[in-house]
Amino acid sequence: MSEWEPKVITFLCNWCSYGAADLAGVSRFQYPANIRIIRLPCTGRMNPKFILAALRHGADGVWVSGCHPGDCHYIEGNFYARRKFALLKTQLEYTGIIEPGRVHFSWISSAEATIFAEKARKVVEAIKALGPAQHFIKKQAEVA
Amino acid sequence: MSEMFIAKGDFPAIIERLMSRYRVYAPVKNGRHYEFAALKEAGAADLGFKNTRMSPKAIFYPQAERMFEYSLAKDDPEVNIVKETPKDFSPQVVLGIRPCDAKAFRLDDANFCSDKFKDPWWAQRRESTTLIGFACNSPSSTCFCTSVNTGPFDTTGLDAMLVDTGDGYALQVITEKGKNVLGILELKPAPAQVAGKVEELKASAEKSVATAFDPPAIAQQGTLDIFNAPIWDEIHFACLNCGTCTFMCPTCWCFDIQDEVQEGTKGDRLRLWDSCMFSLFTFHGSGHNPRSQKVQRVRQRFMHKLKYYQDKYGTGTACVGCGRCVQACPVNIDIRQVGRLMGSGCSCPA
Amino acid sequence: MQAYTEKIREAAKRLLAEKKVDGVIGFRKGTMPFMNEPFMAKTPEQADLLVWDGNCGINLANYLPKRTDKIAIVAKGCDSRNISIQILENQIKREQLHILGAPCKGMTDKRKIQDELDGKEILQAEEAGDKVKVSGRDFEKTFNRSEYLQENCAICIHRNPVISDEMLGEPVQEQQVERYEDIKQIEAMLPEEKRKHFDELIEPCIRCYACRSACPACYCPTCFVDESKPQWVGKTTDPTDTRTFHFLRAFHVAGRCSDCGACERSCPVGIKVREFTKKLEKEVKELYGYEAGMVQDLRPPLDVYRPDDPEPFL
Repeated sequence: MSEWEPKVITFLCNWCSYGAADLAGVSRFQYPANIRIIRLPCTGRMNPKFILAALRHGADGVWVSGCHPGDCHYIEGNFYARRKFALLKTQLEYTGIIEPGRVHFSWISSAEATIFAEKARKVVEAIKALGPAQHFIKKQAEVA
Repeated sequence: MSEMFIAKGDFPAIIERLMSRYRVYAPVKNGRHYEFAALKEAGAADLGFKNTRMSPKAIFYPQAERMFEYSLAKDDPEVNIVKETPKDFSPQVVLGIRPCDAKAFRLDDANFCSDKFKDPWWAQRRESTTLIGFACNSPSSTCFCTSVNTGPFDTTGLDAMLVDTGDGYALQVITEKGKNVLGILELKPAPAQVAGKVEELKASAEKSVATAFDPPAIAQQGTLDIFNAPIWDEIHFACLNCGTCTFMCPTCWCFDIQDEVQEGTKGDRLRLWDSCMFSLFTFHGSGHNPRSQKVQRVRQRFMHKLKYYQDKYGTGTACVGCGRCVQACPVNIDIRQVGRLMGSGCSCPA
Repeated sequence: MQAYTEKIREAAKRLLAEKKVDGVIGFRKGTMPFMNEPFMAKTPEQADLLVWDGNCGINLANYLPKRTDKIAIVAKGCDSRNISIQILENQIKREQLHILGAPCKGMTDKRKIQDELDGKEILQAEEAGDKVKVSGRDFEKTFNRSEYLQENCAICIHRNPVISDEMLGEPVQEQQVERYEDIKQIEAMLPEEKRKHFDELIEPCIRCYACRSACPACYCPTCFVDESKPQWVGKTTDPTDTRTFHFLRAFHVAGRCSDCGACERSCPVGIKVREFTKKLEKEVKELYGYEAGMVQDLRPPLDVYRPDDPEPFL
């Protein structure tokens, strides 16, 4: 049996982390292929519903990455995102929907390709250590 | 109609005998409340209840039910073929259902099981189910069954009915179905004095139910007169448009159909309780919503129950006076009061 | 608190007679013990129907969003905080409102009283000061109201209205209580225990959305529950769908919830839904020092930022 590999839905800001992923690619930096990238215009666009949807549909983990605070293309988008993430992560863990370590956030600029590759490895490792997500995946509805 | 008698001490053994042949639903205490549940052990059945929190309609019409399934796998020879989900329609008994709730199934039959149309799942479950009722010796203050053409000892919708006579249960067999099911129990006939006791209990129970409103008075009003009456402005104000009343109601039957797909491999077609209290219920694909305002939705619920149903079927209201909506409404909108207003020529009392 | 009844009627009559407002939102006596019905008096005659006692737990701010007329409204501490949030979020204008502030000593929890009565049906409840006399067919019992308050009222620390145009009584003394004991207990659990705890908590949910409908902070043009393209939350009674609903509902009111308890009060199956919202309230207080609706011009925490906000998620 082949070894289980986690699926990590990764939301990246178009103006920074997405560029970092691109740069990591053209620079031939190795990072795990477990991440599935979805491009956002800004982490301010990130809606808690997206993260829940990813987990409901079977993602083993979620990673959101945007511009360093102060560097937002839209001046302040990531400042709002920061407050949202803080509450979201605590609430996800508080309600037992996920174990600590399934949802990750980071600030990575478009020049930080090495940091991107490094962070991707860490995220995937952390999620691998937790094993497959089981509790929040919408399977066939338990109904009559 | 034949009368039999079960001493209270024998009752658990009787339930056990029923359970050996049938799936038996009975009221079970769950925290503060009672709910109908399929019994796993005879001792769980508890007739010390006024009524269950939720109506027993879910036994025939579950809140969420899988109707069809289909495969979406491209290599499956039966891909995209919608197949009916197999269901268990083995014979079952509902024990301890109140006369009002049993009557409610009769009213729901107008929708699910008429001469013209039959909902296959409702009809088959109805067919395979025997309703052994439990008469109400002491109705709640929120009960108004006698105002809406039923009563605490009404046997209309039942196959048999138990009456608590203190030391035991008098059992009236009402239908052939009831007779067949209860035949296996080899019950003793009731002692002579029981019939008189039952009559006494019936009279006192019926007397204790207050009159709430007069359905014929509502039937006589013009539909548009009530529809356009100013009463709705006041009635609807407090409503939160939560669906509590409709979900608890034994005669609310509206549903929504949804497809759920599991990651492209297979799918289910589900039937889910819906509520006229929700704006999404009437939301058209075009974006138009004929009942976009709260007042329209509140009016719809009461008009359907107390006016349209009367006009359409001529068999009284689509309300059996169980009082669940009165008890559960978080803002105390009281159908008894609304019924009075609808029947009173629609002049608002101050 | 019943003393407010006369003052509310007097104010309502005056405001309606002088045509200062088009309606007065308050409560009228319910048809059941421990129940009052939210009601809008539109004429001085109707003002005589208005009442106030310990059964006014529904948050009246819920009836304000998108109104265009001039309204007088009776507001407890929690109601007033929600009104100030609604003003900030452009649901109603301050000029439209005449707020009758009602310092509050808490609302009665009829479920707690019912629990003491061994299943006997309450036919009448009479409130006098802190006492409430409950009677039925063959019993009569008197309770101290302060021992049978709604849970949110028992730990309320803002009983006095934060905005008002006239007050119905002297301010009441605020309580010094530990608000987050239950939350801390849950926080101390292992992930597995937390999941189990919340799964059991929401197990009876019938998805009627009464908790959402009763909430004075819920007024999105389209609720996420009603969104269908895409559908964020499944409509079945499957545990995953119910978890999603409760999670998102709570998150939507993060930093905007005044812990008025309307959600819990209106839940027909008695789920303690405040266990979801209170955690966020605690976090918001700890991280951003914000309490919903307490300061008039301070926008809710997810609507603002500070450059040096904490980053506990990194």
